[in-house]
Amino acid sequence: MEESHGKWGMVIDLDRCNGCQACVTACSLENNIPATGYDNASYGRGMHWMRIIRTWEGEYPDIKANFQPVMCQQCGRAPCEPVCPVFATQHSQAEEINLQVYNRCIGTRYCANNCPYTARVFNWFDWEHPEPMNYYLNPDVTVRGRGVMEKCTFCVQRIRRGEETAKAQGRGVQDGEVQPACAQVCPTNAIVFGDFSDPESRVSQLASTQRSARLEESLGTQPRVVYLQSLL
Amino acid sequence: MSDTLSRRDFLKLATLGSAAAAALTGCGTAARYVKRQPYSDMPEYTLPGQSTFYATTCQDCAAGCGLIVRTVEGRALKVEGNPNHPVSRGRTCARAQAALQGLYNPDRVIGPQMQAQRGSGAFGPINWETAITVVKDALQKTPPAEIAFLTGLAPDHVFDLVSELTAALGAPPPLRYGALGMFEARHTLAQAAAAVFGTPGLPVFDLAGAQVVFSFGANFAETWLSPVAYQRAFGEMRQTQDPLHSRGYLVQFEARMSLTAASADEWVPVTPGSEGILAQAFARLLVDPAADIAAAAQAAGVSEERLLRLAGIFARAERKLALPGGAALAQSNGLETAQAILALNVLAGNLGQPGGVQFWLAPAVGQDGGAASFGEIKDLVDRMNKGQVKTLFIHGVNPLFELPQALGFAQALENVSQVISFASFFNETAAQSNYLLPDHTPFEAWGYQRTSSGGEQGTLSSIQPVVTPLYDTKSSVDVLLAAFQLLGDETAPRLPYRDEVAYLQQAVAKLVQQGASFTSNDPALFWTQWLQQGGWWSSAAAAVNGAVPPGLTVPPPEYHGAGEFYLLPFPHPHLGDGAGANRPWLQETPDPMTTVMWDSWVEINPQTADRLGLKDDDVVQVVSPVGSVNAVVYRYPAIRPDTVAIPFGQGHTELGRYAQGRGANPLDLLSLRRNAAGDLAFAAVKVDLRPTGLTRKLARFEDRVGVYGDGKK
Repeated sequence: MEESHGKWGMVIDLDRCNGCQACVTACSLENNIPATGYDNASYGRGMHWMRIIRTWEGEYPDIKANFQPVMCQQCGRAPCEPVCPVFATQHSQAEEINLQVYNRCIGTRYCANNCPYTARVFNWFDWEHPEPMNYYLNPDVTVRGRGVMEKCTFCVQRIRRGEETAKAQGRGVQDGEVQPACAQVCPTNAIVFGDFSDPESRVSQLASTQRSARLEESLGTQPRVVYLQSLL
Repeated sequence: MSDTLSRRDFLKLATLGSAAAAALTGCGTAARYVKRQPYSDMPEYTLPGQSTFYATTCQDCAAGCGLIVRTVEGRALKVEGNPNHPVSRGRTCARAQAALQGLYNPDRVIGPQMQAQRGSGAFGPINWETAITVVKDALQKTPPAEIAFLTGLAPDHVFDLVSELTAALGAPPPLRYGALGMFEARHTLAQAAAAVFGTPGLPVFDLAGAQVVFSFGANFAETWLSPVAYQRAFGEMRQTQDPLHSRGYLVQFEARMSLTAASADEWVPVTPGSEGILAQAFARLLVDPAADIAAAAQAAGVSEERLLRLAGIFARAERKLALPGGAALAQSNGLETAQAILALNVLAGNLGQPGGVQFWLAPAVGQDGGAASFGEIKDLVDRMNKGQVKTLFIHGVNPLFELPQALGFAQALENVSQVISFASFFNETAAQSNYLLPDHTPFEAWGYQRTSSGGEQGTLSSIQPVVTPLYDTKSSVDVLLAAFQLLGDETAPRLPYRDEVAYLQQAVAKLVQQGASFTSNDPALFWTQWLQQGGWWSSAAAAVNGAVPPGLTVPPPEYHGAGEFYLLPFPHPHLGDGAGANRPWLQETPDPMTTVMWDSWVEINPQTADRLGLKDDDVVQVVSPVGSVNAVVYRYPAIRPDTVAIPFGQGHTELGRYAQGRGANPLDLLSLRRNAAGDLAFAAVKVDLRPTGLTRKLARFEDRVGVYGDGKK
């Protein structure tokens, strides 16, 4: 494993998750993600940074639906990074997460092609925020324009705010102090966010249970999102 | 710069220095009215670049979740749950998240207006002085018996004030109605609770503490009673911290797999209307494990072995719970079904126990007579038809969308001389009003709401403005009070409140003596604390005693219509009572089960669809005895082959650019059959499907699973 310092990560308990999609909406409102409308959503141009994969298992009447929230897995060895010709897809040394530098991105979409989790979305257009809908735009998050790739950032603006607040008060960041929008909203408390470098943190504790698994781990991507399997 | 502190860090620290910690801010007594001020003279609590957080209450459904809204420089930016609030405990649903898109919706009504001819759409602006005179004249010149008030489902301060106002005038009390209340059959549940527990009102079910839960169609993951509170409890039931508590087991009985059923350990697709019969069978098996349940198994369409196995699971559990969902109660035998399900809790011995049925003591503010039954709404429509209603005030509800077309509310409205709407958006009903006097949207308004239908404590949740009103809107309570003050020296003193805030303060002052979550003998301080904390709550629980009603039998269900399929209308998980349809992110957030966006659909079992030759995206006409709608087919693998389901929430003809002209409203298919409690038996209609030969592509999110279409079945 890499050097352990401020390794932010997420644990999603699929036994708690009931697929309600509150995280999807919360993510969009926090991160200035535009709604694209019927036509673009039909074409698969929706800008959701987070999606809940609903899969069917079995046939009527013995059928089950499974839900899995998937966002950027914040890979330790991210396949999206080496393919970017302009270094817009970067690994942040401080937070150890993957960041998208919007003003470097030239929209080649190589990163999206190379992402095994299809976690990236592309701005095909300049999306509209009709007045006064633009009033709620979060000043901590860039509003992206046409031709730019984007994806989940683990709400890096919240991580930074939490770190800076802690630093100003001369202490370390406490477990649970920083929460991305999806974890904060989750009604069933299925999403937990924290520091994997601290063995006492809730994410470390949860990730060490037998139910834990990572998506497509065999690709060697070292995802920073851990799923706890459903017991259904 | 020293070695340890870089210039960059120094600057960061310097900006953070003074105001690093986010503080919860209650408006002090001096700050009752927020004014626009020049930039150089910033309002209190406003620092450039710093967030200010206000506690308030969500009003997008009647659950009353406590919220904390982040504002920066006078703009509301993000909604979060209030961590201390007993209903939300720091969590929210998608609807609360998108509430900002209501506040900042480009299609809001921006000032008071009138139209000479109703439905013409030729609204012209008026000023508030005129508006108040109009309301005053309506209250003065209409005989009191011919005034009617229709308010939204939430038991809030508007309802309480209007109750006082109508009592002062001698007019009929206001009716509280909302489509979600109809879908939950709230009135039926309250009536059944009165019969079984002797306590009217909505019971609270302690899902978190239960080990085995039998849910008869209670869709708590979507809209049922208090979805955030019940979802949180569901999470606790699944993976509790308590090592002695085993993982909870949820069994869901319903014809269509709802989102809740999708998370259940077992989904039992039962015939619609058989839920009560099933509950009685489980009750019999609880008493006598050898009881004969062949008839119940036959009625429900479930094998006897499976029922016996489930009954065994239920009987063996130490803490067991039965939930009465809305669709089960919205049958011809709905009241008996509700009683049978509540009686199952009595037999399970869970009353007042952890993991059982509880009642929270409601705060001693206002009179809560419960939501109006559908029968009471029908009585109102009958009175309107007979010309016995001259002036109709409508606040917080959109009856032309939220009532079945067969009820004829639109036609009845033509016999009402004057319709005054307080809507914030041009909805279907507002379009048919004479006067449109827009209320503030929730984040600009004062108020309170009682919450006792979910959560961990009885609560009087506070509502305070988080931003300055954007437009020339006015609080409806202020409008009514101002109009009332003009009624003359004899009448005016009957409502001795200067304005809305004065009304709220006298109401909240009643809690000073009640103790609980915080205490202060000073009413002004108490009021400030109440706003700052997001409400007042008390964990005092009412004693619950119950007995199985003697001679209770659930009659076999009766259906209306000779169609081939049972129709199951269900509230869309995000659009709620339909008012959410103008929030673009509620439209763009995929429906959890079908992943459809921006549209409505009809769910048909693939076997049935194959038999009828229907493919995905085919348009079918759904025909009931009273109407028909066109809907796009979604081949839904988890629904009974004899049932079709349509979400409610789309099909708006008004409500702005994001809502209009999408999908269909299944209420157009409903007949007026009612259950014994007077609630609409909305799940007791049978329909036919007629292919139209047309197709329309549904916007589905699931197409993107895998790489651009890969992984699609």
